[in-house]
Amino acid sequence: MPGVAFVAHCMLNQNSKTIGGARCAGIYSPLVEVLRGQGWRIEQMPCPELTFTGLNRFWAVREQYDTSAFRRHCRRIVSAVVGAIEQHVRDGRDVVLVGIEGSPTMGVCITSSDPKRAGRPDWPEGSDELVPGEGIFFEELRSEMKARGIPAPRVIGIEHQLPGHDKRAENRRLQAFFGE
Amino acid sequence: MTLRDRRSYRVAIVSDRYLNPPEGKLDAVPILLQAEWGAIQLPADDYPSAVANPLLEQVAEQVEEFCRRGYDAVVIGRRDGLDEALAAAGVPRLDRIDPASARALQAFLNRRPAPAARSSRRRTAGNKR
Repeated sequence: MPGVAFVAHCMLNQNSKTIGGARCAGIYSPLVEVLRGQGWRIEQMPCPELTFTGLNRFWAVREQYDTSAFRRHCRRIVSAVVGAIEQHVRDGRDVVLVGIEGSPTMGVCITSSDPKRAGRPDWPEGSDELVPGEGIFFEELRSEMKARGIPAPRVIGIEHQLPGHDKRAENRRLQAFFGE
Repeated sequence: MTLRDRRSYRVAIVSDRYLNPPEGKLDAVPILLQAEWGAIQLPADDYPSAVANPLLEQVAEQVEEFCRRGYDAVVIGRRDGLDEALAAAGVPRLDRIDPASARALQAFLNRRPAPAARSSRRRTAGNKR
């Protein structure tokens, strides 16, 4: 039986993206249509970047967000999200997490990293910043769930901001993941 | 970043019952998609306040940033504690609808003026050329 998908904020609201990064007007239908078609309940997680560096933020890598202040900010949001996750887990529902591949904060398997990025934002287009790893918000989310004794949920990352994104391949991946 | 940014500069704060509607009830998602609005989901009505209040605080902080940057923001539906959370975050009173039908919601969204942020972004882009 389908459960509850906790999705990255931008999956329902592309207006939260870094300027230049919105792939559609608002709701990202390739994910939402699969979730609803398969009978999943949708829960939107807050965007940690939006409330920390705001809408006019620069395109950033993990290292720029990896500060104690940002992690504290994430933990405050995570505490709210895990409260909701706990409710559903207690009621016996399957909970999954949906992140954003390539994101410094919401990445699941791929994040962005460049230890040398700093100063005036004038780096070469297509800089090689994608690396295997998790975003900072997801690290904090897992850590809080573990601390509260909640079993690690299944996770999946949306790949719409990766180079060479293949919509049909992503749809097959989503159908397989949410159809299980 | 060379891709065209497709954001609408329009954000609806939406009751959970319209995003995860019970069978046969009003479903806001197809309407928001068609009208090109983003959504910020309100906590489910059955969440206890200990769960809902921290989530409402997050909603309010996000809405405050959208309002400050000139995005259009409206409320669809209602949620106990929302007004207090928005006020605490310094969000001005937002236009709202408790839609009686899909048509009423469509009409409400279609009547909205152009968001200030969209025109100022276009002006900025124009100045660069």
